[in-house]
Amino acid sequence: MNVVINRFKKMVLKRFFLYSTIAICFVTSMLFVQFNYSFYDRPIAKIIEINLIDSVKIVDMHNNRDQLFTQQIIAEIKNGQEKGQQIHISNKYSTSGAYDHAFHVGHELFVSIDKKKKDSGDLTGSIKDVKRDKYILMIMWVFIFVLLLIGKKQGFFSIISLAVNALLLSFALDVYVNNSTISLLWICGITIILFTVTSLLLVNGFNEKAYAAIVATLIGTFISLLIAYLVIWFTAGNGLRYEEMSFLTRPYEIVFMAGLFVGSLGAVMDVAITMSSSIFGLYEKDNNISTKALTKSGLEIGKDIMGTMTNILFFAYISGSIPVIILYIKNHTSLSFALSMNLSLELARALAGGIGIVLAIPIGLYTSIYFVNRKRHKL
Amino acid sequence: MNVLVWLAAILFILMIVIGGKKGARSFISLFLNFGVILLIILFMADPNANPIILTIIGCTIISCINLFFINEVNSKTKTAFLSTAITIVILLIFINLVTKITMIQGFGEEEIDELTIFSLYIGVDFVKIAASVIIMSTIGAITDVAISITSPMLEIFIQHPTISRKDLFKSGISIGKDILGSNTNTLFFAFFGGYMALLLWFKDLSYTIGEIVNSKIFGSEMITIFSAGIGIALIVPIASWINAYYLVRSREKNIK
Repeated sequence: MNVVINRFKKMVLKRFFLYSTIAICFVTSMLFVQFNYSFYDRPIAKIIEINLIDSVKIVDMHNNRDQLFTQQIIAEIKNGQEKGQQIHISNKYSTSGAYDHAFHVGHELFVSIDKKKKDSGDLTGSIKDVKRDKYILMIMWVFIFVLLLIGKKQGFFSIISLAVNALLLSFALDVYVNNSTISLLWICGITIILFTVTSLLLVNGFNEKAYAAIVATLIGTFISLLIAYLVIWFTAGNGLRYEEMSFLTRPYEIVFMAGLFVGSLGAVMDVAITMSSSIFGLYEKDNNISTKALTKSGLEIGKDIMGTMTNILFFAYISGSIPVIILYIKNHTSLSFALSMNLSLELARALAGGIGIVLAIPIGLYTSIYFVNRKRHKL
Repeated sequence: MNVLVWLAAILFILMIVIGGKKGARSFISLFLNFGVILLIILFMADPNANPIILTIIGCTIISCINLFFINEVNSKTKTAFLSTAITIVILLIFINLVTKITMIQGFGEEEIDELTIFSLYIGVDFVKIAASVIIMSTIGAITDVAISITSPMLEIFIQHPTISRKDLFKSGISIGKDILGSNTNTLFFAFFGGYMALLLWFKDLSYTIGEIVNSKIFGSEMITIFSAGIGIALIVPIASWINAYYLVRSREKNIK
């Protein structure tokens, strides 16, 4: 009895420790972003007063109606040499707000301070950007809490795997930026192996199920990349409008291919692990199940996930272009031009990802069966 | 020939070879969904239309396509549809609030250079459009989770016809937990891949961490990722509860 109580106490203690660590992280990080002004080099100003001084109705050359407002902002500088002084800024914004913002008292802004002072001695300046860090952090915490609350241990692991993968990607890009001699595709190839191994092992542990999924994922991604590469090479990139990425100072075809590589990886991994865990599940239920029966039910499962998986990628890629397409349409460009300019790369990504997903079904199936059969021979 | 045509043709052939009829339906669903997105864009371009309401209508049609057209109309897809709708509405309220306070609507300074030839004062509400973009990015994943929960739950219900509502709900949650990780992963990588160019741009111009975190593009990207994760997690209890309620009630009705 005592043992049970002790174990129970230990569990409660462990859980208490975990919860309090999370709570401490939450509170300190929230406090930090509230008062982190001095960590920024750029001057930050907090709005204390706003006057709307003007509003004009405008019609542009395409007959789009909008309204322009001018506000006079008085804000207090929060860091740097001018800390504590007041600054006068004027801000123009529109009702549509494509590249401007309506500000309210309490908003914090990055500003640039003009050299010349007003006659009254107050500072003047202009707005550079909005201080968004505390909101982003808040939403991150909502995300973490929801995932922990619903997913418990699995939720925790998916947060960890997200963080590890983000760090890995950032590190890989650092390596690329600092060593221009190494090809991005090579770096991505190695990173992808690391991504796959860490994500699948982290969530599933060290077992044959995960090994089968890793092998299938790698084969699937590399084959789908090869197909995409061959198609682009064969058609000389006809129909892809790289103008979207024109701000890059680097060869954008390679950057695009690398993005395609990474982008479809998650979906291929998902398909591979679904296939291998269902095949292993069937085998564990019935150790004498024939290879033929495994193939048949594996294919059925594959058919079920094929449609929704391709749709996940499709929406994740296409939706981001909605605002810019609306801008094109309202500026009276033809619909086909607006679409080809803004969707060609996204569509190519979605389609290539879809090819990866569909290929991962048979590849996942046969590698899992191979691993199952190997296990059978060992017994 | 065009790259997109080639890729689409290869995808179509692979889907038919591996998926048969269902593969063909999956391929057609991509086209239908593309059509729905186009229609939503065209309607959103009208300044008098409310993008949020358009998004709700669009998401309803899209989940109909993803659930009822690719699969069939049955109790699994019906409960999945209902839970998708509820999750979308909850998520939309949250995201609408978030886009307002973070001011991530419209275009960032990194994007604006290529758009200088355009008039930006076009009268549509970019804040609401930003909210609907985030929702639309995750709708595919949300319907996927919904159907992946309701369909094995039905299997469990058939195998254990006397299972209580609470146990059925619990089994739904545990299925959901398993797919939570892989589904969030799918979306994370999709977004990482899509924003590779942007990340390189940040690195090339050696942005400081402070500049990256506060920039509009990065902010909107992070919010999309987090909202997607929240949406995927939220639908797990919602779908499990609705499905458990529905299945147990249908059993009670049959007994009477």
